[in-house]
Amino acid sequence: MAFPHRPDAPELPDFSMLKRLARDQLIYLLEQLPGKKDLFIEADLMSPLDRIANVSILKQHEVDKLYKVENKPALSSNEQLCFLVRPRIKNMRYIASLVNADKLAGRTRKYKVIFSPQKFYACEMVLEEEGIYGDVSCDEWAFSLLPLDVDLLSMELPEFFRDYFLEGDQRWINTVAQALHLLSTLYGPFPNCYGIGRCAKMAYELWRNLEEEEDGETKGRRPEIGHIFLLDRDVDFVTALCSQVVYEGLVDDTFRIKCGSVDFGPEVTSSDKSLKVLLNAEDKVFNEIRNEHFSNVFGFLSQKARNLQAQYDRRRGMDIKQMKNFVSQELKGLKQEHRLLSLHIGACESIMKKKTKQDFQELIKTEHALLEGFNIRESTSYIEEHIDRQVSPIESLRLMCLLSITENGLIPKDYRSLKTQYLQSYGPEHLLTFSNLRRAGLLTEQAPGDTLTAVESKVSKLVTDKAAGKITDAFSSLAKRSNFRAISKKLNLIPRVDGEYDLKVPRDMAYVFGGAYVPLSCRIIEQVLERRSWQGLDEVVRLLNCSDFAFTDMTKEDKASSESLRLILVVFLGGCTFSEISALRFLGREKVRCWRRSP
Amino acid sequence: MDCYTANWNPLGDSAFYRKYELYSMDWDLKEELRDCLVAAAPYGGPIALLRNPWRKEKAASVRPVLDIYSASGMPLASLLEVLQNRVLDARIFHTEFGSGVAILTGAHRFTLSANVGDLKLRRMPEVPGLQSAPSCWTVLCQDRVAHILLAVGPDLYLLDHAACSAVTPPGLAPGVSSFLQMAVSFTYRHLALFTDTGYIWMGTASLKEKLCEFNCNIRAPPKQMVWCSRPRSKERAVVVAWERRLMVVGDAPESIQFVLDEDSYLVPELDGVRIFSRSTHEFLHEVPAASEEIFKIASMAPGALLLEAQKEYEKESQKADEYLREIQELGQLTQAVQQCIEAAGHEHQPDMQKSLLRAASFGKCFLDRFPPDSFVHMCQDLRVLNAVRDYHIGIPLTYSQYKQLTIQVLLDRLVLRRLYPLAIQICEYLRLPEVQGVSRILAHWACYKVQQKDVSDEDVARAINQKLGDTPGVSYSDIAARAYGCGRTELAIKLLEYEPRSGEQVPLLLKMKRSKLALSKAIESGDTDLVFTVLLHLKNELNRGDFFMTLRNQPMALSLYRQFCKHQELETLKDLYNQDDNHQELGSFHIRASYAAEERIEGRVAALQTAADAFYKAKNEFAAKATEDQMRLLRLQRRLEDELGGQFLDLSLHDTVTTLILGGHNKRAEQLARDFRIPDKRLWWLKLTALADLEDWEELEKFSKSKKSPIGYLPFVEICMKQHNKYEAKKYASRVGPEQKVKALLLVGDVAQAADVAIEHRNEAELSLVLSHCTGATDGATADKIQRARAQAQKK
Repeated sequence: MAFPHRPDAPELPDFSMLKRLARDQLIYLLEQLPGKKDLFIEADLMSPLDRIANVSILKQHEVDKLYKVENKPALSSNEQLCFLVRPRIKNMRYIASLVNADKLAGRTRKYKVIFSPQKFYACEMVLEEEGIYGDVSCDEWAFSLLPLDVDLLSMELPEFFRDYFLEGDQRWINTVAQALHLLSTLYGPFPNCYGIGRCAKMAYELWRNLEEEEDGETKGRRPEIGHIFLLDRDVDFVTALCSQVVYEGLVDDTFRIKCGSVDFGPEVTSSDKSLKVLLNAEDKVFNEIRNEHFSNVFGFLSQKARNLQAQYDRRRGMDIKQMKNFVSQELKGLKQEHRLLSLHIGACESIMKKKTKQDFQELIKTEHALLEGFNIRESTSYIEEHIDRQVSPIESLRLMCLLSITENGLIPKDYRSLKTQYLQSYGPEHLLTFSNLRRAGLLTEQAPGDTLTAVESKVSKLVTDKAAGKITDAFSSLAKRSNFRAISKKLNLIPRVDGEYDLKVPRDMAYVFGGAYVPLSCRIIEQVLERRSWQGLDEVVRLLNCSDFAFTDMTKEDKASSESLRLILVVFLGGCTFSEISALRFLGREKVRCWRRSP
Repeated sequence: MDCYTANWNPLGDSAFYRKYELYSMDWDLKEELRDCLVAAAPYGGPIALLRNPWRKEKAASVRPVLDIYSASGMPLASLLEVLQNRVLDARIFHTEFGSGVAILTGAHRFTLSANVGDLKLRRMPEVPGLQSAPSCWTVLCQDRVAHILLAVGPDLYLLDHAACSAVTPPGLAPGVSSFLQMAVSFTYRHLALFTDTGYIWMGTASLKEKLCEFNCNIRAPPKQMVWCSRPRSKERAVVVAWERRLMVVGDAPESIQFVLDEDSYLVPELDGVRIFSRSTHEFLHEVPAASEEIFKIASMAPGALLLEAQKEYEKESQKADEYLREIQELGQLTQAVQQCIEAAGHEHQPDMQKSLLRAASFGKCFLDRFPPDSFVHMCQDLRVLNAVRDYHIGIPLTYSQYKQLTIQVLLDRLVLRRLYPLAIQICEYLRLPEVQGVSRILAHWACYKVQQKDVSDEDVARAINQKLGDTPGVSYSDIAARAYGCGRTELAIKLLEYEPRSGEQVPLLLKMKRSKLALSKAIESGDTDLVFTVLLHLKNELNRGDFFMTLRNQPMALSLYRQFCKHQELETLKDLYNQDDNHQELGSFHIRASYAAEERIEGRVAALQTAADAFYKAKNEFAAKATEDQMRLLRLQRRLEDELGGQFLDLSLHDTVTTLILGGHNKRAEQLARDFRIPDKRLWWLKLTALADLEDWEELEKFSKSKKSPIGYLPFVEICMKQHNKYEAKKYASRVGPEQKVKALLLVGDVAQAADVAIEHRNEAELSLVLSHCTGATDGATADKIQRARAQAQKK
């Protein structure tokens, strides 16, 4: 491996600092509205908030009742209302309706809106248009980075992908730059920066501007993170579209991991209650299986169960003193482990049940065929059957997109027929879905006879025509050929396997997809870090349509000091999958630090 | 040096007062000072003269001129003054909030403003029975509130915002029939009153305590009376000035007297009094302790000995050693050095400063660990002070005043007087951070530069850029704003070009109505909020068509605005698409409307029709056809609901047919499938699933035999097993084609037969599949059979 496991693995920076920072800031904001107040929280801020400040902390700062922001009139009778929301226009309208209702009723209260992670001018505009700008006070809670695990940070911005990659809305890029700035002020400057993608480049440049404006602050600090890698999600859609087969990925695909925790239903807990479980390195059992291929997990868990039993059994033949020791010191740990073990076994069973029922093997086979580019006809009919049988609307779309990207778009006949079938199965409103997927470049049609150059000349003609409004659409769908096949060959993404791929002792990152495919995103990161630049990857970059958006920036500090910094921060702009995280963990073990943004 | 203390005048036992010349005045005053209205700013500030304000015969056309001079008499500015007749008298006072002014109006009312920068006038309550101007008055500041103390005849009144009350100073000598002068100290802590009996009362400004009194036996009203004290000194003294006489009085039976040769004016300072006349400018203050220790005649203070030692050392006399030894034996060398350093600060003459500092430096050599800071800083401070005290600059700051004022304020003053080079030299000399120092001054300079109307825009811009370059902390946009303020728009734009942060350029560009330029700068900055601000500006500024055209050339702004419209102004969004002839998006827009906005079925169909038309225009036949199909389906679902009841609206085609089958309407279902051309495969899957759900096995069997299944028979087996009907499943297992036979047999649990088929097929994969299904003892025989077959196959 390029980055073998090293016993002298660098220590991870203390990311809990970010939590403390966010908490202190929130408390400060709450104290700005002295006295008792009711807090209205936006639904998707609840889990992140819970990781920062629990209810008792909120109560300590005179939060009386908690409400969810939803489209219902508020029942609060408090004289002071505080709203903790994302900067979304619909929230502004909700707040406006509340305030205006109070006004009609002749009631005066104090209102405070706290925007997280930042406020947008558009929101203030709406407040003004609704005539309540003077009635509310606005504040920002610059909470942009949530540490989910010792090696994982999230911006918790679910709309990032849609806003940027579909709508071309760049407003979050500034937030990303701010977050990078925060990291560099807390953990020292990043000596080496790499990136690929338009968004990555913009975020990087904005961030650099921020650093320059506050020159001198981070200077002279010892960097804790040696390298930072920014990567746009649209550089590699393929990996995100593949079914996940490492344990953590499967748990996510099956139960949805939200904000670092998962809700295990009764079928997992084998009781009548659901259970919210935090999934991170503190869960010792989980930590050992999270990155494993699923086929190894059961064996591991049963081995673990046997060990546990053996440890329990030791108490036979103990004398009183030993027994006392055992109960006071070990039993609690064993019980805890026992509880976790049974939970994960339950989760495994549940996953097995679901996956075998839907011919998971067939699905994986089709995916591998698509990745390798053989039996396309057969795969297409498989997808068609998948749609006809109404197996799962999302899975069907996923397969269609995978087919489209690996094949540089669907051939017109398939494009039509698959869409028709899909509309018949799931309703004609998905016409909009297809239009969006096309715009995002996820599901496109091969233009007959259109070679790349033809498309390019078409686009450049549009540019000279200055019909730029159309260009945004044209760019995203037409100009972007995925060229997956060529890239795959160049980067050797499909490993040649002689005999069985040993999933127990993986030899490359392909293990996260059963040995069939090395995640493109991770391969790019690996290659660039190995070369310390994009040198020699020109062809790949061109195929990725990123010729103008691949950059390297190294400070000319003495090599030795930056050499010792083996900590790498990978920033996925637009989210990443657990498979990618596992692959990166494999890539560097303790060396690579992985950071995903927006789930 | 013997005569060094010649100008020291003792007051009482413990204090000396000295007066020395700061400048000989440079102004060529034609008038006597007595013919002018005079005012001077504290901290060595400038002097303002208003000539002949009292001349009655002034013609209406001749307006009095207000001249401002530096402390050394250099003319700084002159302005035309408008006389405000109704104001009788005014006092300036300084508090934490800034400089305030109190005015006595012609109607004998007082008005007060706590801050001249923010002129909020506040009328004070009326003083009962005040018919004429008070004989004297002043402003007292206590606890951040300004009061007015005024004297009317023998009475004193204290005026605050609420009321007017009579006060009596404690221990005031009897027989007072009128107060002629009153003075409040620089720090507003002390008050002095001069009565018509020639008696001076000195006490606290709170009028609660008397400090001392003095009888000078001069009954003539003094021209001025001011306090002369030093911070942290116990001595209290006031300076009283008559026409030709100056008297320093304090807590001592004797006073110090000076003769004034010409009209003089007193300016109270933090640590003394400035006295200027037509020809000279002097400073009178209490001799600071360190100086007194060192220079007092026959002083044996360590500082004095050190100074002597150094002098002897220069003379190469061995006495130097004796003096040093003396100090060292007493262990006072550190103190000696400190004394010399401190005394140097209080000396006005550079020569004396130097000899004291030399002594300190000499003494330092014999000390092991003397922190160098105080010495270094004193040298630096003195250098700055000497520079600003220079005749040409004319700011006679003392060390104490300078420390109180701070370097920042001093720099501000220099900048306001446009002494840019000096200010920059000071910054560089003191190594102030660029942002606080040099950059700030350059920015001020640039702001001044843009006001030079006689220089062309290009030259100004170039000159500014040459000087400023990329100095950190300089905001070109601030300078540009100043240029715009002077009406030089073109210059402002040129200057903005130098601004590296495009975001900073935007607000000014908007102000200058260069909105389109502002838009591209905002986009460059990457700050979407800024872009949005500009967009809304543009929206109000341009007509709709132009606005849209502008957007078309800026994709980033367009998508931002679209996002906003999607949530807030749907109609505008439609117009945007229309403008662009973006029929594809228009179609999508109407589809969305048919789901979100419309409720009645007719409205929804109409919206879909519009959408279909748009799709045709966009040459997207697929979408158009799909939309038309949906219109048909909607109408049909409506009819089904009317005729059959139940819920059909908004189901997908597939679900509609399923619902029909589940409801037993097989005929209708088939009709629908034909009408909408549902492919065979789908129909078979659909029927199979629906009938199995109904557990209508009879119908299912009939259906399976209606013709050859396009999806094979394995799905039949699977679905029956899903419903746990092994019996039915077996029926279909026999009909499964050979390729999937093994799978089917395994599904129904017939392992033995599966093995047979697999052996027959001689298919290794199938054999292992069956083998993996062999469990327990029951399948033992089968397993053996397979193993045998395998062995046989291998032999061959």
